[in-house]
Amino acid sequence: MKGPAIEIVGLGHKYNDILVLHDVDLSIDRGEIFGFLGHNGAGKTTTVNILTTLIRPTLGRALVNGHDVATERRLVTADIGYLPSEVRMYPHMTATENLTFFAELSGVEKAKHAVAETLEYLDCSDLADRRVGSFSTGMRQRIGIAQAIVHRPSVLFLDEPTAGLDPSGIRQLRRTILDLNRDLGMTVFMNTHQLSEVSRVCTTIGVLSRGELIYKDSMEATTRRFPDETSLEDIYVQMEGSPA
Amino acid sequence: MASDRRHRVLTIARHEYRAAARSRILVVLLAILVIATAGSVIVAAAEYASRLADYQAYHAAAVAGGVTQIAPSPLAPLSLLRGAFEYIEIIGAVIAITLGYLTVSRERVNRTLPLLMSRPVTSGELAAGSLLGAVGVIVTLVVATMAVAVLSVGLVGHDWINVGQAGKLMLAFGVAVVYMATFYCLGAFTTASTKVATNGLMVALGIWLFVVLVLPQIGDTLDADNQIPGGLFAALGLGHDGEVQILTHFTAYETVRTSIEAASFAKHFERFAFAMTDVKERFRSLSLPDLFFQVRASIVWILIYATALPIALNHSFRNQPSIPQGET
Amino acid sequence: MITTVTSQQLLSLRRQRVFLAALSMFVAMTAAAGVLGWSSHNTIVRVYDEAVKLLAADGQPTPPNPFLLKPELSLLSNMVVYVPLLGALLALLLGHLSLTDDESTGLGRLIFSRRVSRTGYAVGKIAAAAIALSVIVLVAMAVSVVSLMVVNQRIPPISVLGRLGLFYSMSWLYLMLFALVGMAAALLNRRRSLALLSAMGAWLVITFAIPQFTSALRPTSSLNPIADPVGSSQRFFQITALARPISIAEQYKAASGQILSTAAPEPGWQTALRVVPLMVFVGLLVAAVVILVRRHDFSRSGNGE
Repeated sequence: MKGPAIEIVGLGHKYNDILVLHDVDLSIDRGEIFGFLGHNGAGKTTTVNILTTLIRPTLGRALVNGHDVATERRLVTADIGYLPSEVRMYPHMTATENLTFFAELSGVEKAKHAVAETLEYLDCSDLADRRVGSFSTGMRQRIGIAQAIVHRPSVLFLDEPTAGLDPSGIRQLRRTILDLNRDLGMTVFMNTHQLSEVSRVCTTIGVLSRGELIYKDSMEATTRRFPDETSLEDIYVQMEGSPA
Repeated sequence: MASDRRHRVLTIARHEYRAAARSRILVVLLAILVIATAGSVIVAAAEYASRLADYQAYHAAAVAGGVTQIAPSPLAPLSLLRGAFEYIEIIGAVIAITLGYLTVSRERVNRTLPLLMSRPVTSGELAAGSLLGAVGVIVTLVVATMAVAVLSVGLVGHDWINVGQAGKLMLAFGVAVVYMATFYCLGAFTTASTKVATNGLMVALGIWLFVVLVLPQIGDTLDADNQIPGGLFAALGLGHDGEVQILTHFTAYETVRTSIEAASFAKHFERFAFAMTDVKERFRSLSLPDLFFQVRASIVWILIYATALPIALNHSFRNQPSIPQGET
Repeated sequence: MITTVTSQQLLSLRRQRVFLAALSMFVAMTAAAGVLGWSSHNTIVRVYDEAVKLLAADGQPTPPNPFLLKPELSLLSNMVVYVPLLGALLALLLGHLSLTDDESTGLGRLIFSRRVSRTGYAVGKIAAAAIALSVIVLVAMAVSVVSLMVVNQRIPPISVLGRLGLFYSMSWLYLMLFALVGMAAALLNRRRSLALLSAMGAWLVITFAIPQFTSALRPTSSLNPIADPVGSSQRFFQITALARPISIAEQYKAASGQILSTAAPEPGWQTALRVVPLMVFVGLLVAAVVILVRRHDFSRSGNGE
């Protein structure tokens, strides 16, 4: 495939006549791990909802793998994985039953085999035959990631993936994201509040403030641009205070 | 593409079936239906067995006495299933509504709708798959009810139904599946159309109450002959001819009364099922085409409802937001 | 404290659209029962007129006026069906909403982090349901009185009003039973839908299944205002008929038939006996709800739809 993994041009969205996303332009190359920062209500989840075809943009256009999210829904959804901020799944079903269902919906042949492989890859085969209803937040998150990658998408959307996880869960998630990017070449688009994760995992970051994209650059350039800042948190606060 | 679509619809249908089978409340409601049905049929069959024995004794005595013109049996084993159909009409509809409610609320409570809709699945496929899965559950339920009912008639009533009767029974149970599937669509439609899923369930149950219980009851109450205990016409000393003659002055009234009954989907199901199972004596001698002719209006109404509600279901699934409202 | 819980609950019910819709439906059906009674009255008049003409043409004597066969309060006989159908479901909903809102919004945790006794809370909720049902029943009774005035063109005599009062008092008790069933189901099930549906399951069993086993009543016969049990000589029914006194749906209808004089008369003590099981069940359910509230784990409230 050629061209950027994600391309957004003049994207805008309204909820009940209130503009929550305004004229966003963004391009993310293949193989990037993109960290999308912003305060609560900045429009990060709305952006992910648009990119995963869950809602239609009010203005502008967004392309994933060159396909328009508004008009080529089927082509877009065939090649993306999505992990929402709160993963619940069907509690009365086992992890394998849940994952097989989602794999089959994505047209995976030999779905059960793919599920077993994915669980093994994520080092959680022990959860396969247990009902999801009995899982802790961390276990649910791992099964959530498994459902997002079971069909081997090329672009992975993670919405606040570290929410509710304990430090060891966060560390495990960080490793998983890096592995997926390295082993399977997945482009990762991650909404997050965890600035420390952004600095350790992401290759590029973007900052959204009140629906507008106020900053986007590589992680390397960002640390170069703010040489006096000791932490990304300070950079973030500075950017929020003075739009670039 | 078509095979992909079929695969997705079947995947959703299988998922729906499995999820329903694991729902505790559905299992409880099913148990109530099957036990109540079995009770009603066994009770009727026990009574029937003694009447059948009487007839067989009469028949044997007549044959032994050299009587050539023996009265045919006035007994109709299929009519013993009346209770089964009445329970499907009342409790079956509640089960179907619950099934529809669970289809929608399951995805909301578990927050799985965004996961589903971020896959190459359309809302139409989701509606079709869910309906197909629900039909699978309903068929299982109806087959179980039918098996219990037919076995009760045979084992307790000592009369096994013949092939012709089995055919009519299959038709009646087929329409029972359509009847319940329509209520399934109602439950899913009202739930998908309301923000709070439980409110949708309550709206569907309100409609059920009206359509299944209140409207037929009003129609019955308005029947001129039902105005006083023992029948108004009998109290006035009028026979059937007198009744028919007087009712010619009540055509407008009767039209209103039958229209109220016609508005009830449940009444049409009841009419069809009763016609197929010899509940009404006047239908017992009719051939199948004649029976269809007699209940043609009910068939048309059932088809209208059974077409309209899946369309409404599809529409409500299409308009249902994929993400919980209020998230930005 | 009890009055605070009660008044808060009544205010909450007044703001619940679903409850108001169900209430309007019940009042509308009470009015419909009046309209049906009026229609019945008209039909009898017209059929009688036509019958007199027809019989006169045939040279036959004029039949007795069928109104003599029709008791005055039979005009409201449909209410005997609407209370166990619509009224009982409304009461279930009322009981359900009384507890599930505190449960699903997590308010239970806030309430019991204060100096609130569990018994006081339960009594307050039950009192709110009792008051709400009293209001509903009084409105229904007022509608019935108006229907009687319109149809009979006169103010109903005291004796009729007394019978109406007695009928609606018993109906209130019947409705209380289902409000308590709704509450108990809400306390026994964590999920709202499960609570509502299991309460409905209980209603289906009480209204349709039990009368079938005790009196061989088919489910649709339960929709008739006066349903005579099917005479059955089977030993099965000779045994199950012993349980008929506790089949409260049947007893409610039978007692209503006596109070409204629409059934063959029986001694007053016999009618009074019919209401006793209902009172006992209501008493038991009040105790059950109080015990369930005392044992309920409100720390988990706010987690289920």
